[in-house]
Amino acid sequence: MIPGDRKLYLALLVPTLLVLLVFVVAPITQSIIFSFHRIIIGLPQLKSPFIGLENYQELLHDSVARHSFWVTLLFVSTTTFFELLLGLLLALLIHHRFPGRGSLRACVLIPWAIPTVVSAQMWRFLFNDAYGMINYAIFGHGVAHYIPWLAKPGTALFAIILADIWKTSSFAALLILAGLQIIPEELYQAAKVDGANVWRRFWHVTWPLIRPAVLVALLFRTIDAFRVFDLAFVMTQGGPADATNVLQLYGYKKMFVEGWMGYGSTISVSVFVIVLVLAVVYVRMVGRRLLEASL
Amino acid sequence: MKTVCLLILLAIVFLGAPSHAEEPQTIVFLMWKPNQPEVWDRLIEYFHQTHPNIRVQVQIGPHSSTESHAIVTQRLKNKDTSVDVFLMDVIWPPEFANAGWALDLTAKFSRKEQEAFLPATIAANTYHGRIYGVPYYVDAGLFYYRKDLLEKYEFNPPKSWHEMLAQGNVILKEEGDPTLHVYSAQFKQYEGLVCDMLEFIWSHGGSILDQPTGKVLVAEPPSIQAVTFVRDQIIGQAAPQGVVNYEEPESLEVFIQGKAVFHRNWPYAWTVANDPERSKVAGRVGVGTLPAFPGHHPAAALGGWQFGISRWSEHAKEAWEFVEFMTSFESQKILAIQAGLAPTRVAVYKDREVQDKMPHLKDFLPAFKRARPRPVSPLYPMISQELQRFFSRAIADSQTDVQDLAQATSARIARVVQMEAAVRR
Repeated sequence: MIPGDRKLYLALLVPTLLVLLVFVVAPITQSIIFSFHRIIIGLPQLKSPFIGLENYQELLHDSVARHSFWVTLLFVSTTTFFELLLGLLLALLIHHRFPGRGSLRACVLIPWAIPTVVSAQMWRFLFNDAYGMINYAIFGHGVAHYIPWLAKPGTALFAIILADIWKTSSFAALLILAGLQIIPEELYQAAKVDGANVWRRFWHVTWPLIRPAVLVALLFRTIDAFRVFDLAFVMTQGGPADATNVLQLYGYKKMFVEGWMGYGSTISVSVFVIVLVLAVVYVRMVGRRLLEASL
Repeated sequence: MKTVCLLILLAIVFLGAPSHAEEPQTIVFLMWKPNQPEVWDRLIEYFHQTHPNIRVQVQIGPHSSTESHAIVTQRLKNKDTSVDVFLMDVIWPPEFANAGWALDLTAKFSRKEQEAFLPATIAANTYHGRIYGVPYYVDAGLFYYRKDLLEKYEFNPPKSWHEMLAQGNVILKEEGDPTLHVYSAQFKQYEGLVCDMLEFIWSHGGSILDQPTGKVLVAEPPSIQAVTFVRDQIIGQAAPQGVVNYEEPESLEVFIQGKAVFHRNWPYAWTVANDPERSKVAGRVGVGTLPAFPGHHPAAALGGWQFGISRWSEHAKEAWEFVEFMTSFESQKILAIQAGLAPTRVAVYKDREVQDKMPHLKDFLPAFKRARPRPVSPLYPMISQELQRFFSRAIADSQTDVQDLAQATSARIARVVQMEAAVRR
């Protein structure tokens, strides 16, 4: 290494580090500090006393938070499962060579390119009980009986899950497609020569080689799904009966609607810790697989 | 807009000039973007003519109540002396009073003067016996109905909820339209749910909080029976199940499409329901007070906006003159006729000119007189979240144990009330 290079490297790192410091480290630190204090906007007389772990104890005994946690977990597991499954199918489809493949590949990405708030608003209209397209498709025009999708706890959560699957399956597909493209064509030819049918070729050639890509998609989707907020915010505001009150929405309401900054921060920090733990576990897992794959 | 620019320019000129005793004092008025800005400009123009010693500089914030709240509280929290007068939503005064942001107006706004206003609007501005705001215009839950259908079947507007159901069922049966419903209102898990449900609870003799003692009454029989009634008789029965995810616009849509006989909404719905371009039932709509349960008085949830003066204002005297002017009989009359906003002074409703030009206002008045503020507390947003949770859980699932839910909610609200009381001690 030329002696001057090291300084240049460091200098070039500074802007990135600064951005990370200001936009990532500072807000997270601030949230963590808030979570150890009692801060209530409506009661400025309280000042903001340090209360140690009281907010965290409160969180453990908060039945609404527990309910939100299970709702979030259900959301994360179902969306991630179906997004990976659909993503895999989509990737296999658009990996094939056929006329119009280029435009289909572009089309697949459209849902993912639409901002979540916009697509959430679209799904809200689609699921509307009186004038929504979904009821129209199932029950036809002007009938008295239909499913009020967003007005029942079970179907409301289903609607949000469906909206998320629609939106992000293509993201999973994109990652898996990248994995598919690095598989050399010769492997398939060799397998064919050995007499392997489509099914065997998938299980013994494709699957082992795209597994790292699937794991990366799994990592991104789980972490992202844990932070779900906008779909519930736009489509249901957490209702009915808290059925779609995901953790991040609950934290948001505590902080910005109720003005309970300390407790709201505690919820955010908890989501952060969950995601962090997941990320570490996955990265270790995926990291090892990636190494194995590239060897 | 031109006038506002001009005013800002004027303000700059006057602020920049060396001050003399004769020179007008500038006060800053923080409000949101009104629907009819020209009416507000005109009022402020009159004020300048009648009070040459004071100049009002208007600052416009966002229209939404929540965003507006963020801006006003931000400036008051920082003890910003550059705001003198601001508008408050009906649920803010206790918070502003407790935080010491709103000036105590008890000395200026006498008891006698307060009597000229609708009582509920005064109650909403009063916190522990002191008054912190002057009511400007009022909103309240109103009962809309299809005049033509009621006349066709020779019904009078229903006085009780049960009567409403009975009339509605007859009309539905005779009309034979499977898409027609008896009732439409707002039951989504949001602030509007609290208003709608409180109206049922109040009109059954129930309540949320006993205000002086701080006792929580959510789990008392009158409240529980009213909530159970809504769950069993309204949701999925008189009203489509879909109302559980409806706010004002969706529920109004059902009514103006001619798909509901009865409808609960705020005063703004009157104009929409009678606009032939948007409404299929224009001209066939009646309005009045919401029904009640037998043996009880009807009720309406109170909304609306008030003037407040900043504790940090250095021109409180001039600010008060401005507030006094804007909430005077004459100003409210102009606001009612030209901007269609409902006055808080009872006398305006009796004015001949107002009655001629706004004949429907007299139908609103009984509901306004029955209007009640939501629980008055600086921690109201916390109470509201608990109530939204309780009501939504109770009505969205017919299997829930309302009593159980009510008791849990009661305990949580009691905790909030205690938090507030602990601070005051």
